[in-house]
Amino acid sequence: MIRFGPLIVLAALLALWQAAGMAMRVETLPTPLAVLPELWALFASGEIWGDLRASLYRLAAGFVLALATGVPLGILCGRSAAVRGFVSPLLALFYPVPKAALIPILMLWLGAGDLSKITIIYLSVTLPIVYHGQQGAAAVEEKLVWSARAMGTGRAGVLLRIILPASLPELLLGVRVAIVIGLIVMISSEMIVRQNGLGYDIFNAMDMAQYRLTYAVIVVVAVLGFVLDATFERLRRRLTFWAPERQDQLPTGA
Amino acid sequence: MILRALRSCYSVLLLLAAWELFARSGMVPRTLLPPVSLVLQRTAIALATDTFVADLATTLFRLLAGLALAVGLGIALGVISAQTRAGRAIFEPLVRVLGPLPKIALFPVLLLTLGFDNTPRIVLVLIDAIFPVMLAAHYAARAVDEKLIWSARAAGTSPTGCVLRVILPAAMPQILTGIRVAAVIACVVVFLSEMVQPGDGLGDQMIRAARAFRSVDMFVPIVVISGLGFILDTLLALVRRRALGWAG
Repeated sequence: MIRFGPLIVLAALLALWQAAGMAMRVETLPTPLAVLPELWALFASGEIWGDLRASLYRLAAGFVLALATGVPLGILCGRSAAVRGFVSPLLALFYPVPKAALIPILMLWLGAGDLSKITIIYLSVTLPIVYHGQQGAAAVEEKLVWSARAMGTGRAGVLLRIILPASLPELLLGVRVAIVIGLIVMISSEMIVRQNGLGYDIFNAMDMAQYRLTYAVIVVVAVLGFVLDATFERLRRRLTFWAPERQDQLPTGA
Repeated sequence: MILRALRSCYSVLLLLAAWELFARSGMVPRTLLPPVSLVLQRTAIALATDTFVADLATTLFRLLAGLALAVGLGIALGVISAQTRAGRAIFEPLVRVLGPLPKIALFPVLLLTLGFDNTPRIVLVLIDAIFPVMLAAHYAARAVDEKLIWSARAAGTSPTGCVLRVILPAAMPQILTGIRVAAVIACVVVFLSEMVQPGDGLGDQMIRAARAFRSVDMFVPIVVISGLGFILDTLLALVRRRALGWAG
């Protein structure tokens, strides 16, 4: 039942959409059955692949950079009051800034290419990773650290073998939030700049009054979000099966 | 006290000073990075200009309308779904499907079906900001100590009375935390909606500045919307502390 829950919900949502489309009978709200052939054509003709690749490449690049810098910084923040005192106010300063909205400014600095879009994704996903990394590392039980030290583990060993694994559950929650935020920023920056990528596709199709295509690309984005989140969630559960499950942490973010 | 506050956020002051010095050093053209003092000065001027204030009011209206709907509906849906077995069974898969969906991707659908005015933007804020509120309400309502409910029921409180007088107050600390998150999301989303489909509002100010390469004016709307998010967040934190002295 739990396994098939999302599928049942999905079927119900599609049925609702179908009913709304059939009731409204307008060109701007096609039914899912009318969108399906468009979706098929999108993949069969290979039209979507270029934009999908462009979008995913930027998301992945921004993400890898964020993990490489955000995880060490977050853990450092959790373990050192001096670093935390420096970094936390900066996090608080950037927290309410609409990161995707910085894209026109970054384009002035870094040009109109991929670099500005990767940077914007990097900036926005680093924040939750650092924040949750800090929470995780700060909550590590000190007795574990003392015991390891007493048994002769070096500082680096404590970091790698005690603190990193112990902060992993919290850290991975941050990564999950970051995935959702990364997607949002990816799509919205492509909608603002309109060069390529899935966000561009959606608006381009709408501007050309190809409404079925608009909906087809939106479906692609929705599936992408669900698949990325569900895949990561499986990985997260496997990596932290030993940790108590926290229910209230479902994906949201902006 | 002010001195201590300043010392606690010395890194922010350091960053602003570095920005100012770097921008004034001549190493970068002013058009790329205006000094922060100039940005703040221009922000002050903008806040005294009628057209800018009108755009700010437009944005604020959409933001607050969407947030209010998100809070009302989010609490109602979250708490009610926690009351029945069926509701609890539907809730999690629904959030697992709709949560990771970047709601901004639905914005074109909202534009096509609801028109190009305020409504699609308010609805976009609603569908984005509702999640943290609804999640907090749902899980907090489920975590309420059953004994409290039993006692209230035994003392003659109706099921509805239980929800309103026992569950809702007990869940309020988490709900208010959810609302804080939702407020910042609402600020971000309303701004993005105005940038993606410009017309009016603060996001439109940003797009117009970007198209005309007026770099200082590009920073001004960002400063204002971030300030708005910060103020809302701080106010809600105050409300939370005032209202929930008992919750610790």
